[in-house]
Amino acid sequence: MDAALPSRSSVLRSRILGHAGLMTGLVLLAAALVCAIFAPLLSPHDPYFQDLSARLVPPVWHPRGDWLHPLGTDNLGRDYLSRTIYGARVSLLIGLSVMVVSGLIGTAMGLAAGYFGGRTDMVVSFVVTARLAMPVVLVALAVVALVGGSLVVVIAVLGLLKWDRFAVVMRAATQQARAQDYVAAAKATGASTFRVLLGEVLPNILPQLVVVATLEMASAILLEAALSFLGLGVQPPLPSWGLMVSEAKAYMFFSFWMIAIPGTALGLLVLAINLVGDGIRDVAAPEGRA
Amino acid sequence: MSKFRPAGAAALALFAAFALSAPAEAAKRDNSLRFAYDQVPENVDPYFNNVRIGVIIGQHVWDTLIYRDPKTNEYKGQLATAWRWTNDKTLEVDLRQGIKFHNGEEFDADDVVYTLNFVSDPANKSVTQQNVNWIAKAEKLEKYKVRINLKRTFPAAIEYLAGPIAIHPNEYYTKVGPKGMNEKPVGTGPYRVVEHVPGKHLRLERNPDYFKASPKPQPTIAKVDIRFIPDRQTQVAEMLSGGLDFIMNVAPDQAAQMKAVPNLAVMSGETMRIVFLQMASSEKTPVAAFRDARVRKAINHAIDRQAMVKNLVGEGARVLNTVCFPSQFGCTDEGATVYPYDPAKAKSLLAEAGLAGGFDVDLYSYRERNQAEAMVGYLRAVGIRANLRFLQYAAFRDQLRGGTAAFAHQTWGSFSVNDVSASTPVFFKFEDDDVTRDAEVRDLLEKGDGSVDPAARKAAYREALAKIAERAYTVPLYSLTTFYVMANELAFTAYPDELPRFWETRWK
Repeated sequence: MDAALPSRSSVLRSRILGHAGLMTGLVLLAAALVCAIFAPLLSPHDPYFQDLSARLVPPVWHPRGDWLHPLGTDNLGRDYLSRTIYGARVSLLIGLSVMVVSGLIGTAMGLAAGYFGGRTDMVVSFVVTARLAMPVVLVALAVVALVGGSLVVVIAVLGLLKWDRFAVVMRAATQQARAQDYVAAAKATGASTFRVLLGEVLPNILPQLVVVATLEMASAILLEAALSFLGLGVQPPLPSWGLMVSEAKAYMFFSFWMIAIPGTALGLLVLAINLVGDGIRDVAAPEGRA
Repeated sequence: MSKFRPAGAAALALFAAFALSAPAEAAKRDNSLRFAYDQVPENVDPYFNNVRIGVIIGQHVWDTLIYRDPKTNEYKGQLATAWRWTNDKTLEVDLRQGIKFHNGEEFDADDVVYTLNFVSDPANKSVTQQNVNWIAKAEKLEKYKVRINLKRTFPAAIEYLAGPIAIHPNEYYTKVGPKGMNEKPVGTGPYRVVEHVPGKHLRLERNPDYFKASPKPQPTIAKVDIRFIPDRQTQVAEMLSGGLDFIMNVAPDQAAQMKAVPNLAVMSGETMRIVFLQMASSEKTPVAAFRDARVRKAINHAIDRQAMVKNLVGEGARVLNTVCFPSQFGCTDEGATVYPYDPAKAKSLLAEAGLAGGFDVDLYSYRERNQAEAMVGYLRAVGIRANLRFLQYAAFRDQLRGGTAAFAHQTWGSFSVNDVSASTPVFFKFEDDDVTRDAEVRDLLEKGDGSVDPAARKAAYREALAKIAERAYTVPLYSLTTFYVMANELAFTAYPDELPRFWETRWK
């Protein structure tokens, strides 16, 4: 016999390793995750410790910078590197939580609408349309202004607002999957509706779900930053990148790094998540692509 | 303090040199001045707002009976020519003749009587009650002579008549009320309002008929355009690009940076504005921990006021130990308990109060956000998890008065009144802003406000201030320095009362 055909997993591995975008995204995302999880070990200082006599120290590459504060300090003398590292926690926590909350709501609605069709579909489509008519940022601003900003409020508001794309994509994907033979086969064996949905439909539309999930996570992170920048997101002294950009705004004319550092971190994280999402789509379903 | 990069400064200066030259010169040529402020007055009628910009507008558009010369602190007649106490509770005032309001209405005793009686009636809901609630009734004696009857002896009355008590035209005010006064303000002052778009801008024009005898000099700048720009960075950018000629309350860091820009001048000085933390300790406080004096003392010990003054507030500011400005009559920290920075002591006081694990609290703030954040940091270091709630002043005041806020980063400019009756009693005499409600303190302050003998007043205030400090009802912090940034061709004089006087400002 000739050499056996490459196994399924080795094909997948080579696809992943050969996908530059996915690899880049994974490395960056892993770095952010490591920062978030091991923040206390990685940070040189307590991110909340302020020293007013060491305010606005520039980063190490600046003539007046030093290694005590590699990225300098902010306007209250807090270590910038430590705050940036801890900032990854807030961003990822918000991104993941919003993704889970909105994913659960949106996926449930999309699955139901796509699978049952008819009246269920009509109701879900109406709710989705109603939701799309509301500008997310505006509603989020209004709610946060009303009840006050905090980590939990931001997660709840964004989670309850950002499920629409999940619902729309899941509905379309479920409608396609519903007509497939394996669904008919499962039904024929007497599987319950619940079992068909979770056991047959959902696994087969997972790649689409993952892509939407990454997109939503990235956009939730950006929204949190925007809300915090406006002073309506997470509240000081919690180190959030959006808040850091907001605080640094007063210094942007002379100490540009104060805005550039959290801005870069935010940009890289969002880029990484999007690269991973695109990469997963390519790797999981290359058939659909040229 | 001034931490900026020379290279960055040079680049910025270059940019500013190009951008600035044209518009600023245009402003100079047509003899106008463009000024921006970050807060919006709810109503420009001086009795219906309590923000600084309201005081500034008030002094430009209106006049007061008496004028305090900011250089000598000497009282001079403005709308009045003479005044005398006929007894402890009666003041007679002779009025100046031949003055006209901006709408042509003639100034006489009717205007004074109507204004004083209107604003001192609580039913008319003036928001500055503490400035007027000593007035019982004003009566017309002759066309140019009035008598002011006081509710109680109140020697500081002259200071109030020289400050926040502007005189409105009675016929016009009867017709339009405070709402109409906001839309189309009319006074006798050196500037008249040409246009007021609430929340946006207020255009002033030199009053050509301003009476020559006024102790305010005749204005030289023809037009003053006041714009409300809430965002400081926009103000700074507009200053750099020459869209504005004058801004104030610039943060010390930015002021230090803007010093390097040619075409711009930076001026600074201590102001009468005091900063302190209010802790609601009355029975209806939403934060029960504040009922315990040990907790309040712990907070006093937790904050390093020296370091804040040195690094955040700026040169010229000083640490305070009582809730009043030292130059005010009756203000002293003699005998007042001083709480030095001592985080260990703060922690042990908290532990004694049964709060070894700290507690959560919202700190409300409306200006100098970086100072509020620094305090949040200090409180955190002793275990008090303070969350910052940063609001507009009107919302801040309402939450505090309404009892939803218990912990406030408060500032007070005393309406530039150089008497302690304008500061401490506002927060301790059972009025709207009193979140403490200590009857003993109130009675002492009443005594201070109402005694005729200066020594007795001083003694009563001293005792009240000592009680407030001993019971740690507040955390007295520091006085503020204000930084003015202006086009450097502007001849401007800054005074400690935080009141820019455009009538004596001119282009060089």
